[in-house]
Amino acid sequence: MARFIERHPAWALIAIIAIAVVLWLVFAIWPPGLEAAIGRKRVFLNAVLNGITLGGLYFLVASGFTLIFGLMRNVNLAHGSLYLFGGYIGYAISTWTGSWILSFIVAFIVVALVGVILQLAVFRRMEGQDLRQTMVTIGLSIVFADLMLWVFGGDFYQIQTPAWLIGPIQLPLLTAIKSSGEPVYLQYPLVRLVIFAASVVIGVAMWLALNRTRIGMIVRAGVDDRDILAATGVRIQLVFVLVFALGAGLAGIAGVVGGTFQSLSPGEDTRFLLASLVVVIVGGMGSIPGAALGAVIIGLAEQLGSVYIPTYAIVVTFLIMVLVLALRPQGLLARR
Amino acid sequence: MSLLQSTQFRPDPSATTARRAFIRAWPDFQNPAAWLVALILIIMPLIASGFFLIEIFATTLILGIIALSLMFLAGYGGMVSLMQLTIAGFAGYMVAVFGVSGNANISLGWPWWLATPMALALATLFGTLGGALAVRTEGIYTIMITLAIGAAFYYFTNQNWAIFNGHTGINTVATPHFWGVDWRADIAFYYVTLGIAAICYFAVQYVSRAPFGLALQGVRDNSRRMAALGFNPNAHRIAAYAFAAFIAGLGGVLQVWNYRQISPGSVSVGACIDILIIAVVGGITRPIGPFIGAFIFVLLRTFALDVLIKFGLDGNRFRLLIGLGFLAIVFWSSDGVIGLWERWRRHHVSSAKRTGGGRHG
Amino acid sequence: MDSVAHRLSAVGAGAALELRGVTRLFGALAALTDVTITVRPGERRAVLGSNGAGKTTLFNCITGDFPPSSGTIRFFGEDITQFPPYERIRRGLRRTYQISALFPGLTVQDNVYLACRGVSRGRFSFLRPGQNDALMHATENLVQAVHLAAVKDQRVAELAHGQQRQLEIALALAGAPRFILFDEPAAGLSPTERRELIEILTSLPAHIGYIIIEHDMDVALRVVESVTMMHNGRIFKEGPPREIESDPEVQELYLGGGHE
Ligand SMILES: Nc1ncnc2c1ncn2[C@@H]1O[C@H](COP(=O)(O)OP(=O)(O)O)[C@@H](O)[C@H]1O
Ligand SMILES: [Mg+2]
Repeated sequence: MARFIERHPAWALIAIIAIAVVLWLVFAIWPPGLEAAIGRKRVFLNAVLNGITLGGLYFLVASGFTLIFGLMRNVNLAHGSLYLFGGYIGYAISTWTGSWILSFIVAFIVVALVGVILQLAVFRRMEGQDLRQTMVTIGLSIVFADLMLWVFGGDFYQIQTPAWLIGPIQLPLLTAIKSSGEPVYLQYPLVRLVIFAASVVIGVAMWLALNRTRIGMIVRAGVDDRDILAATGVRIQLVFVLVFALGAGLAGIAGVVGGTFQSLSPGEDTRFLLASLVVVIVGGMGSIPGAALGAVIIGLAEQLGSVYIPTYAIVVTFLIMVLVLALRPQGLLARR
Repeated sequence: MSLLQSTQFRPDPSATTARRAFIRAWPDFQNPAAWLVALILIIMPLIASGFFLIEIFATTLILGIIALSLMFLAGYGGMVSLMQLTIAGFAGYMVAVFGVSGNANISLGWPWWLATPMALALATLFGTLGGALAVRTEGIYTIMITLAIGAAFYYFTNQNWAIFNGHTGINTVATPHFWGVDWRADIAFYYVTLGIAAICYFAVQYVSRAPFGLALQGVRDNSRRMAALGFNPNAHRIAAYAFAAFIAGLGGVLQVWNYRQISPGSVSVGACIDILIIAVVGGITRPIGPFIGAFIFVLLRTFALDVLIKFGLDGNRFRLLIGLGFLAIVFWSSDGVIGLWERWRRHHVSSAKRTGGGRHG
Repeated sequence: MDSVAHRLSAVGAGAALELRGVTRLFGALAALTDVTITVRPGERRAVLGSNGAGKTTLFNCITGDFPPSSGTIRFFGEDITQFPPYERIRRGLRRTYQISALFPGLTVQDNVYLACRGVSRGRFSFLRPGQNDALMHATENLVQAVHLAAVKDQRVAELAHGQQRQLEIALALAGAPRFILFDEPAAGLSPTERRELIEILTSLPAHIGYIIIEHDMDVALRVVESVTMMHNGRIFKEGPPREIESDPEVQELYLGGGHE
């Protein structure tokens, strides 16, 4: 942190000012002039929270994508399909057993197994041929998409939120003061907050696993320098399979999350593939903290964009990507 | 890049030097099959009905042109760009926006001979800027960035009503009428498409042996060495994107004339990927590949339904078929169906030689 | 045949290449430390040193393949430290690579043609060269000069190692070079090929200077008039070949060190 400020004082200043402005916007009571100019504070706060929680979901999808790419140089364009598949599995399990938690577990295991099969049966045979692997993932995404369309049709599915998570809770964030002087606090859906907390926990766990365990060290070394892997003589295939399973499983979990607070339908696979691409391009390939940062940035850009400039919202996301590519092509938090 | 590098065209070692150089430059003129195909294409309106002419052949040629632009980038430049269809679609939208259409509140009503060059210029600009972005990184990142650009454009056309008219798109786009000919009538349009496809095909063939094309192949093989020879590799890459964007733009103009409408569905992510599939299935090392791939694709798309039903299968599984076919090609051939065909022929020839030699010995 | 003084007068005074305090870091590793070298125009010099001494890195800094971490580089008086590689090449600098860096998908002729095209105008030309194109003639001559005429239509991937090394040299001779950096050009060559290489080097026009990295003292000392010794990223001795050869420190560190 201190080194960053030392090296880029201008950027640091801009970042600090931006953070201060956001904090003020979140915590202060908005003066009437501001409300007249850009609308109610409640709308703004909702967009911010939606953006951050959506960022949590994007992180779950993108972290697997970035790990798989970082370690195996495999641009898994079927990652969106794994997401959607996980969602459908979760839907099936939750309607069948009525257990939301169980749907996560099953979705993780089943999709991770798909990942293991893919790695063992397909990608292991074309190691080092990144273009060919990418082609294969494209083919797979088409096949998966059509198979899922076959089985689940074109309908929208939504996974039932469990009773204990339904309904809003009151957050200690003021949205306005009533004329009677009574403060109005923000109401926000509990389930989104819980899911966001869960993705933070998963993110921290992944970070710890990568930085504190032996396998994690190997994975990180492999991301930084692929030749090291071969040199250390570890069972590299095992590591690859584990990472692919983890990445796929996370996409599966994300599918259940997405199915709970949004919905599942054909086309969602592409949407989440695109989100992963942009998040990872912005955050930096192979970097878990990068995926987290990118996910929050893109989530916020999407939600704030769709509230304040609805017909150009996607442009904001895209401009962020362009800006990052122009200034720091390797991504914000990538090493190289 | 191993896929690309392992599949370079290997000239026949028995030919003489001068002849080889000529064949390398213009392989088609030496090939009787090429003359036959050209003849058939020219007399096609005598053979085929209007449906075949437009739905099969014109559509094949248009998709082939767009895929050709990808082939140029991928085969000669080593850059697999998934945004070529997006550029084509952008050109199509611009034809509709600047020209005449049923959406009078959006279209500016320019005559086609102004709207079309404008659309092509803007599409080339689009492709150049996208390329400038994509060359900030190398290798496999290109796919990701260009796919992101394509997807962003798709979502943008959906969201934006002022220019792109949201998800309904722009309808009844006017097509050129001049010299008393309706150029969108089946036969006239077929010849327009055939002419432009031929121009694009020979242009790519020609440029591949011109300094620009050679330098691009040099950048593909070893960009660091190119810099050490005095070339600016990224400038070449961006110029390649510009050239490819112009070709893709031509395809897009033809496409909007063909369907007379354009909507976000025409620039969807799936459609972008279809272009890659077409190019890869046909073979991305030679300009003929994309057209072969497009022909297979269009045939499958048009007839898969009937054929699948005939075999008692679900007719809606066309995309499954495409996906599986694509996977099979990627698995077994590094140069699409041309590669398969050549391998088969070589095998055939060598086994024929072997049996022949055996008899004499 | 021609003396140093003669060559100098042919080109004029001033340094061809001037490095001041050039340092290059790879992470924590200093591959070059505070290297200062001055080479006169037309001068021919060998750089010797064990593996990992930083010789190739020195070349990479001069050509801009890897920019130096600090220090300045001048080429015929012009500060080129910040230039991209292609700008340096266009000013008459050339190099070969220790590990052949060719275009395997193209033919020998196309490889050489690219080299000629890279240092002339029309790099972006959409027009194919005609039969009487000047660059085509230059290409033919160059292919001939490195004895590759017989294989000029073969793809580079199909060439033998020695032929690839020869092509590597041809690429560095294209256009009008003023100064060339040869990175171990003789590595892996047969005795005949070595002789051909020496012939090519000694028959270069007098105004073209070069630095050659070469382990084989027989080759190196026959084609240069001065020697720079490197060790651990630093220069530790400069002088004429005889002096260097007989220097006890050098003998111990390098010549007697059993580098083969
Ligand atoms: N691209 C690079 N990245 C990291 N280290 C490098 C790189 N290139 C060279 N080095 C290191 O710099 C040192 C000098 O290498 P080099 O210049 O190739 O030596 P020489 O050519 O004298 O054998 C070596 O320790 C080598 O490992
Ligand atoms: Mg070296």
